[in-house]
Amino acid sequence: MNYSICSPADKPRTTSTSLEQPGVLVVKKHHPLVRWSHWLNVPILLGLILSGISIYWASPVYQHRPDPKTGNFDVAADVGIWICAHVPGLHQYGNPPDWIYNHISLGPGMLALALRLHWLCAYLFMLNGAVYVSGLILGGGWRSLLPRWTDFFDALKMLRYYLGFPFAKLIHRKWMHPHFNTKYNALQRAAYFSVPVGGFFSVATGWALHKPMQFHWLAALFGGFDTARVWHFWLMWLFILFVVPHVILVLADGWDTLRSMIVGWSTRVKRPEFTAK
Amino acid sequence: MNNEKKLDSSDPELKPSRTAPAVAVKFVSVEKRPDFLEELPPPIIEMTPPVLRYRTRRDFLLFGVGAMAAMAGGGFLLPHETLSRIGVRRSVNSPAREWFLNRALRIDDDVAEALYSENRRVPTYTKSQISPLKNNYNGASPDPGYISEWKLTIEGLDSGLSVVLDIRSLMSQFSVCEQITRLVCVEGWSAIAWWAGLRFDDLLRAYSPMSQAKWARVESSVNLDASGNPDPYFMSLDLATAQHPQTLLVTHLNGQPLTVEHGAPLRLLVPVKLGLKNVKAITKITYSVEEPSDYWAERGYSRYDGI
Repeated sequence: MNYSICSPADKPRTTSTSLEQPGVLVVKKHHPLVRWSHWLNVPILLGLILSGISIYWASPVYQHRPDPKTGNFDVAADVGIWICAHVPGLHQYGNPPDWIYNHISLGPGMLALALRLHWLCAYLFMLNGAVYVSGLILGGGWRSLLPRWTDFFDALKMLRYYLGFPFAKLIHRKWMHPHFNTKYNALQRAAYFSVPVGGFFSVATGWALHKPMQFHWLAALFGGFDTARVWHFWLMWLFILFVVPHVILVLADGWDTLRSMIVGWSTRVKRPEFTAK
Repeated sequence: MNNEKKLDSSDPELKPSRTAPAVAVKFVSVEKRPDFLEELPPPIIEMTPPVLRYRTRRDFLLFGVGAMAAMAGGGFLLPHETLSRIGVRRSVNSPAREWFLNRALRIDDDVAEALYSENRRVPTYTKSQISPLKNNYNGASPDPGYISEWKLTIEGLDSGLSVVLDIRSLMSQFSVCEQITRLVCVEGWSAIAWWAGLRFDDLLRAYSPMSQAKWARVESSVNLDASGNPDPYFMSLDLATAQHPQTLLVTHLNGQPLTVEHGAPLRLLVPVKLGLKNVKAITKITYSVEEPSDYWAERGYSRYDGI
């Protein structure tokens, strides 16, 4: 019932019988709205992170007493100075305290522009989140993301698989992927469930920072204005820490998985017992 | 008899349970509607290779168009300093980008205005929660000599005249209010401070602005830039915000008269706006129908700044 939205794809079945060509079995994986919002997140999140770190520059969350020699108080500037002192080839870098801001933000000293871009991207991010949730509801995909009681032990199985994988490869031993009768394994589900939740909290802390007086109850919920900034900062790291293994594992999993987020279907029809009625 | 037949034909569950119980029970349990929260098996569909190729090509083309649009959008919106770092050269001036970003900013300002409620008070704090308030203005501090000759000029009044008040007449004419509120800077830091002064609303009642006035231009002519040259600071404030009961014209900070760094002898305290609207050392207030210019809006910041 819930997959009736995918009906356009059912049409070819009639053509297949009329042309008497052998059909290809494919599994429906992602609703179009889910796919669009997934890819739209790439430029939007990039814009939010780049402008966000430029905003961070204006008043760093992590500060220390000004250095007596340089007057620097920003931990991110310290990291830049350390990188320029220790990474080969960077000793000649013109402005080490700005290294971080020159490489993972729009740049230092552009608060006004960064704020405008951040708010623009933030509105787009909220709209995109609504598109994503609509896609989950229309396609019924939200059920695959829900945590379940078996997740803890299944996650341990997956961790064991990932940790043992390199060693098994080294000694040319067969290393079986644990079998799950679900769309995602427990680790994937934990990641795909927590990222939208993290997105929700990013938006909530964002509003608490943007309107700390009109939404003072929201700021209070996160421990006040200053603490909401800390939450907002670390929620950004949730996205970054998600994206890195996400991209690596998708590439490792193969072309079919990457393609399924563009076209919506997969040719990995694993379970013949689930063939359409 | 008739009744039993009806049951047999309408309810398939009953029929097998009578004829072949063991198999039928299994069959029924598979067909049962799953729990609402239960994950359903993914639908498997059959497609002919040409249709599959067509759909794949279409979706990949759409994806490519989207990726190029996103890159074009990034090239259009990102500052040239950022782009030059990744090897993209673009002309420095981009009026279209400024126009677009300002449009987006106005939408955000409208959202802020829609959220604003004149009845909503900002949270107040206790004296133990007071935190250090820094002078964040990067301009030079003016010589305190101006304080003895200081006067506040009010223009755009209903009477058509301009009013000039000195600090003594201001303080004797209006009752003093105190509040401990948070000041939030556009940069992201905030501080809780104890302020005392008169209500802007009381000043508006005593010297009523011209009819249909919606704005106040609050100005400090004693403001200096970083090299010590005069740099008048001016800022737009909507009258709805000026009438807010927590919008004060402040004379005292943390129980002491204002210092030059914090805008002696009179500064604006408007806790429902960002710190940059809290003009120090006000010398002139002008009421107007049209929105006046704003120091920071001219430098790319929001002009509404409602928080």
